[in-house]
Amino acid sequence: MTSLETHLTEDERQSFADDTMSPEQRASAEAHLAACRSCADDVARLTTLMTRIRETPAPSPTVALDDLWPTIRARIEQSKVVSLPADAPAVRRLSPRVWWFGSIGGVAAAVLIGMAVMRGRPTGPGDAVGPGTTPNAGEPSLIAVVDSAHAYEQEARILLDKLELRRAMLRPETAEALAHDLHVVDVAIAELKEAVARDPNNPALRRLLATSYRQKVDLLKRVSNAS
Amino acid sequence: MSTLRTLCVTLICFGATRAAAQRETDQPVLAAKAATPTVSLRIYNPVGKVRVVAWNRDSVVVRGRVADRDKFFFGGSGEGMKLGVEGPENAVKLGVDPASPTGLARVSDFVVYVPTASKVWVRTVSASIDAVGASGSFYTVSGPIHLSGTASSIEAESMNGSLDLDVTTPWLRARTGDGHLLLRGAPQDVDVSTISGTLDIATTTPLRAQFSSVSGDIHYVASPARGAIFEFSNHSGNVDMVLPESVSGAFMLSSITGTIQNGFTHVRPAASAPNSLRLTLGNGGSSVTVRTYKGAIRLRPE
Repeated sequence: MTSLETHLTEDERQSFADDTMSPEQRASAEAHLAACRSCADDVARLTTLMTRIRETPAPSPTVALDDLWPTIRARIEQSKVVSLPADAPAVRRLSPRVWWFGSIGGVAAAVLIGMAVMRGRPTGPGDAVGPGTTPNAGEPSLIAVVDSAHAYEQEARILLDKLELRRAMLRPETAEALAHDLHVVDVAIAELKEAVARDPNNPALRRLLATSYRQKVDLLKRVSNAS
Repeated sequence: MSTLRTLCVTLICFGATRAAAQRETDQPVLAAKAATPTVSLRIYNPVGKVRVVAWNRDSVVVRGRVADRDKFFFGGSGEGMKLGVEGPENAVKLGVDPASPTGLARVSDFVVYVPTASKVWVRTVSASIDAVGASGSFYTVSGPIHLSGTASSIEAESMNGSLDLDVTTPWLRARTGDGHLLLRGAPQDVDVSTISGTLDIATTTPLRAQFSSVSGDIHYVASPARGAIFEFSNHSGNVDMVLPESVSGAFMLSSITGTIQNGFTHVRPAASAPNSLRLTLGNGGSSVTVRTYKGAIRLRPE
């Protein structure tokens, strides 16, 4: 039981706010709250919070979280490739360089979409994954894939420069394995580059190219462990 | 008959495991030290064999045999240790290849017992790596890697060695060049790839996975978990998927110049543009994307 001298306990404040106190306890608590500004403010805050929680609509039972998760996860994966400044909310002030690249990205996206429309290739949900198709709104941005391929290409170039410095330290069998693997990856990259040049709007080709570059970067990083 | 055969194989395996464990404990102790449960260990052995076994003790014990002219080193505190084998001191300091002048490799074999929550970092040239219940990074130039047990995370890499990963872990990343990569056990978040080695996947537990190769074939023999998101990518190698009839997933298959074969002939594809196929099996509880450039994609029931 509360008295006027001692503050309400946390449990009593919570019980008062959600109206689960017994009538006797409530009368005593009301007497204390009338005299204690600190407890009264806190209980008022808790009461407001409880009211808001009660007013918040319950999540729809018809939509199972398991059904939502693949879509959410796919969105997370898309965002991992590269962020698109044009789509991103203006949370913070962008630097002129970021704004500049963002603008170029936006213009490039518009040009690519325009080219796809001009070529008269309507896309439906069924053939969105097919080769030779243009990405629709549900597909990861072609620009993002292009950017990731460029990023991997630059990283591969830097790693190759570093490798030249260490090449003499490699064991002969390691150097031989590296030469073979690099040849395999470079042949794949060359074939994909040619294919992209023929069909620049094909997201599947772009993704394969980005994956091949990633393989090359991973290989060069492995070599640095071997030397 | 089949049960009897299984029992015999199990008994033989059990016997072999016991015998191997007995052999390990017969080896002389090279070093032993108290450690914190989360100790970090760096382990080196160029040639021979390294076995890492996680145990429920706060100590590190090394048993094994080191090649005659090589030196075993063991240093550090209870929170971080470094151990392994190196060639003759002058050779290492001069940066000379520690292999013997006769061309015969000096072989050192040792087993390291580490606390279960520790992190290991194992590096070898051609020495095989075998770890049971150990977490961390495993790297070899050409030796085979075999990992098993339960681990908090696994990173395994080889230039051209084979990888056999039979682990239960929430995070797994593995790479090899020409080597064969076999993934089984119960990993959850998976990223595995080869350059021209074959990639075999026989696990149903991954929730998010990337499987890729450049020219090696990819074989998937399992069923994706509900909610799983898989991405298969191959340039010139084939992607073969052997799935149970009860499989559930949305499959998006595309190949630029390769063929696509659908063995689930009773299922009508949602879309079938040239060199692409989209179909839903079961209630579509998982999402599987397969892309190749010129490798064939084959989908067939078990």
